Amino acid sequence: MKYKNLAWKILGGLLLLIIVSCSMTIDSIVLPSSINGGDNLPVTLNVKITADQAQTSNFMVAILVPKVWKARQNATMSFVSDVTTGPQQMTVIPAGQAAPQGGGLDWPTLLLNKVGNGGNLIPDYEWVAFYSNTSYSLAGGAPFGVTVSINIKTSPDNLSFKLGYCVANSSDGLSSPDRYGSKFSDCFEVHGTGDLIDFCNPQLSSIDPRTSLENDIVTVTFDGGVDSTQLTNASQVNMCMTGVLTTGDSVTVCTQTDATKMIPLGLNKWQKDFWPRKFFNLADNQHLSGLRYYFTDANGDHKVGYGGGGDPFTYTFKCQ
Amino acid sequence: MKKLLFAAVCAAGLFACKPERLVTPSEPIKGLSGSWAIIRATRNGTDITSRFDFSHFRINFADSSYTIDSLVPFIVSRNGKWSFDDPLYPFNINFRATDSAVKASPLLFPVVGGKRNVIITFSPGCDLNSYQYTLQKAN
Repeated sequence: MKYKNLAWKILGGLLLLIIVSCSMTIDSIVLPSSINGGDNLPVTLNVKITADQAQTSNFMVAILVPKVWKARQNATMSFVSDVTTGPQQMTVIPAGQAAPQGGGLDWPTLLLNKVGNGGNLIPDYEWVAFYSNTSYSLAGGAPFGVTVSINIKTSPDNLSFKLGYCVANSSDGLSSPDRYGSKFSDCFEVHGTGDLIDFCNPQLSSIDPRTSLENDIVTVTFDGGVDSTQLTNASQVNMCMTGVLTTGDSVTVCTQTDATKMIPLGLNKWQKDFWPRKFFNLADNQHLSGLRYYFTDANGDHKVGYGGGGDPFTYTFKCQ
Repeated sequence: MKKLLFAAVCAAGLFACKPERLVTPSEPIKGLSGSWAIIRATRNGTDITSRFDFSHFRINFADSSYTIDSLVPFIVSRNGKWSFDDPLYPFNINFRATDSAVKASPLLFPVVGGKRNVIITFSPGCDLNSYQYTLQKAN
């Protein structure tokens, strides 16, 4: 009886070893060091799959990208492998379609919950998942290689972003970390037009929503904890704001009043919600194209701009 | 005597019977007349009620017109006319500011804590930025 129990334990241990050794890894990623805004971004993923159990599944590849790229419409994907013949096409999985073993969550939500955002600091990114058009029957056996080719038509925007990748299949989903592979790139730069959208580095100042017009309520944040500036440990911080009109003229509000006084959030972080139309007291025929702004102390003696220096922060009013 | 009493009871019973007139319950007309204030505001799902001064805003509804006091970013910026898409079962409220096109907002009409709330959703700036205001009758 004692030996019978031991045999079952050994058998169970071996079975567990087989199950947990089923793996999918991204061995390497090939992409240019940077591109120009609006160019196509080619990415190659070298993936290794070890299928220790017979399984019939679709192959899943997902990418974490800035929303502004609209990758659902502007990305294509295919792969070649040691066990298939010729390029295999992939199609974007509709948002809302439940992922396998995901508790009803769709792929983008599940990927964000399980794999994360790669450290991108502006919450304006999305996971876009693709399935192979064909399902594949894999018998258990030796590892085999898959080369995934991704092509993304980028937007003209000037941005830096930590791209993310995930590979999995339509049976296991993201049920446990050994069933999928994921990787994030270092900060990838797109040299485009407009203000830099920097997802990678903490910003001394940010504006939410990232895209807005003068009739939105706009939130300006000053994070004095990011870097040492003349406003480090200031007891009060005010905005010094210039609205740039579409005519090229400008209007400035730079007095230390309640209208410009920011709300302390603690840890040297300050925030102000304002309505640009009212803040600048615009006439009906006046419209803003952007903002140039600084932060000051209570007396206006110290003025902090972009990077803590003397140049202003800038923001462009636009909807895309 | 017993016969007389029996006849009296029967007669009383007979005259006590009346046909019951059943009245079908009708859906009340939703009224907005009065002055409404913003008690909750969200932008893209984030609660900004306490971060922006909505306290002086009022929208005053009359039969078919409205006026606005202390404007904040709203579906319309001027006084004008309003209407429901359906007076009995409204799903949208339409605003037509003076010299402007009609703007429609989805409408919710819940009763919370015994008070009628009106919830409207709109984008005063970029279409991607969605605002939801909960209005309640001002005191």
